[in-house]
Amino acid sequence: MPLVKRNIDPRHLCHTALPRGIKNELECVTNISLANIIRQLSSLSKYAEDIFGELFNEAHSFSFRVNSLQERVDRLSVSVTQLDPKEEELSLQDITMRKAFRSSTIQDQQLFDRRTLPIPLQETYDVCEQPPPLNILTPYRDDGKEGLKFYTNPSYFFDLWKEKMLQDTEDKRKEKRKQKKNLDRPHEPEKVPRAPHDRRREWQKLAQGPELAEDDANLLHKHIEVANGPASHFETRPQTYVDHMDGSYSLSALPFSQMSELLTRAEERVLVRPHEPPPPPPMHGAGEAKPIPTCISSATGLIENRPQSPAAGRTPVFVSPTPPPPPPPLPSALSTSSLRASMTSTPPPPVPPPPPPPATALQAPAVPPPPAPLQIAPGVLHPAPPPIAPPLVQPSPPVARAAPVCETVPVHPLPQGEVQGLPPPPPPPPLPPPGIRPSSPVTVAALAHPPSGLHPTPSTAPGPHAPLMPPSPPSQVLPASEPKRHPSTLPVISDARSVLLEAIRKGIQLRKVEEQREQEAKHERIENDVATILSRRIAVEYSDSEDDSEFDEVDWLE
Amino acid sequence: MAGQEDPVQREIRQDWANREYIEIITSSIKKISDFLNSFDMSCRSRLATLNEKLTALERRIEYIEARVTKGETLT
Repeated sequence: MPLVKRNIDPRHLCHTALPRGIKNELECVTNISLANIIRQLSSLSKYAEDIFGELFNEAHSFSFRVNSLQERVDRLSVSVTQLDPKEEELSLQDITMRKAFRSSTIQDQQLFDRRTLPIPLQETYDVCEQPPPLNILTPYRDDGKEGLKFYTNPSYFFDLWKEKMLQDTEDKRKEKRKQKKNLDRPHEPEKVPRAPHDRRREWQKLAQGPELAEDDANLLHKHIEVANGPASHFETRPQTYVDHMDGSYSLSALPFSQMSELLTRAEERVLVRPHEPPPPPPMHGAGEAKPIPTCISSATGLIENRPQSPAAGRTPVFVSPTPPPPPPPLPSALSTSSLRASMTSTPPPPVPPPPPPPATALQAPAVPPPPAPLQIAPGVLHPAPPPIAPPLVQPSPPVARAAPVCETVPVHPLPQGEVQGLPPPPPPPPLPPPGIRPSSPVTVAALAHPPSGLHPTPSTAPGPHAPLMPPSPPSQVLPASEPKRHPSTLPVISDARSVLLEAIRKGIQLRKVEEQREQEAKHERIENDVATILSRRIAVEYSDSEDDSEFDEVDWLE
Repeated sequence: MAGQEDPVQREIRQDWANREYIEIITSSIKKISDFLNSFDMSCRSRLATLNEKLTALERRIEYIEARVTKGETLT
């Protein structure tokens, strides 16, 4: 139904009730009609003024444009007369070096916004009834959104579209990066197609200790070599870690060279382990349940597999792959109890590796509750608990670092030979002092608290990366039924390593925070420019990878 | 009888005259509003044509300027 733009006000001239006590009614009606005619004339004149005002504004803007055009034409005419055909350009250089001509295409956007509503329609709109004043409840909201937005939000569809476009550009960009990486490294050994049980294998490896893990690594290498020719062990591992991560998060924070360097260092550590005391055989069975630092990669993988995750029991807490599941204590407590119940070699409890307490505030979920349900769920065999929270961009190096560290941990499995279904001691967050030697329940409780305590402190580094810290604290703990703690033989090495790991973690965390801030800044900068959003999206989709990077850089710098 | 009719008739005739007068005025008001609407529409269409011409001119001038001036180098 079309809206009338300007409505002359007294619609009916004589549709009014006559006052009582009048003798000459006809004259009364006539006078009333004449009065209404005068009112109609007044509203007509108001609308006429509005019409001419709009037309005048448009014409005025055209006059500016015409004047500027006139000036440009004058300048051009002057310069054309000055053109000298004898001046020849340096042919080749100029042709290639000159900036290509791009005409400025101005697109109309935001045509039907509130701000472009014509004044008469705005007045008609104001006459209507207002929505309920839900905005007075805004100060009482937790999430900071306006109260009225839940009732009526004029910009809802545009915001939806904008989010979708930005997400699409990010996805496309990541795809391009992936392709670039694949193209850039054609000689890298191809990955063996990941089997679904990789995590468990890795955990088993870790549970068995470095010696046995090496064997598995050799096996893995054999597989890889079978797949692709000779490949350096060091390269494959980083590759797999990197690729695990790439799916869900962008590793752009770290330069790849640095990451691979760290990974290779981690690999070296893994191979240097042999002199450590061999893990007890019973550990073999329990290996599955150990989430361990590799859980970081596994977590990332799981994150990819179960983006939606969390079934009620699943812990959304499992956020960032980085820190080796720190809260081992939480699940360990439960797992230990369950393990005790079934002290068999088969560690059924999935032992969802207590997801490293969310390093950032993004991953809000409470830590303590999740581990419990995770362990209780018998069907969940997958080591990495459904890490729901958007995985922190934890570069694989920390993961790699954690891996060797964690691998050492399983080396010294619980002496009692209890099933170590518990996740590798990813050591409770650095909070617990190194000297901790609590009994298992106590440790569990203590460990439970730190993870929850970490939540309030969204600082990225300390919490989840704590697992890397473990070396020292775990070494001193001799849990009766705990997640394995490092035996005291490792304190020296682990301390040095932990210091280094801390430094690395901080560096990476800093970079991650910066990247997040950059992204937020970008989002703010974007605002509501439909044209730029669309152009970015189209550029990412249809341009070549080379052009894409250039274009994007130019765009972001605008 | 004639005396009774006269005042009434007079009033009725007067009323008819008034109504005709009012009718003329309202039809004039309608003509004014019609004129304003059509004027508005025609003006907008002309301004739109003008806008198109201006845009075309601006693009041509931009191109010519690019041709004539020594372009910037990329680096």
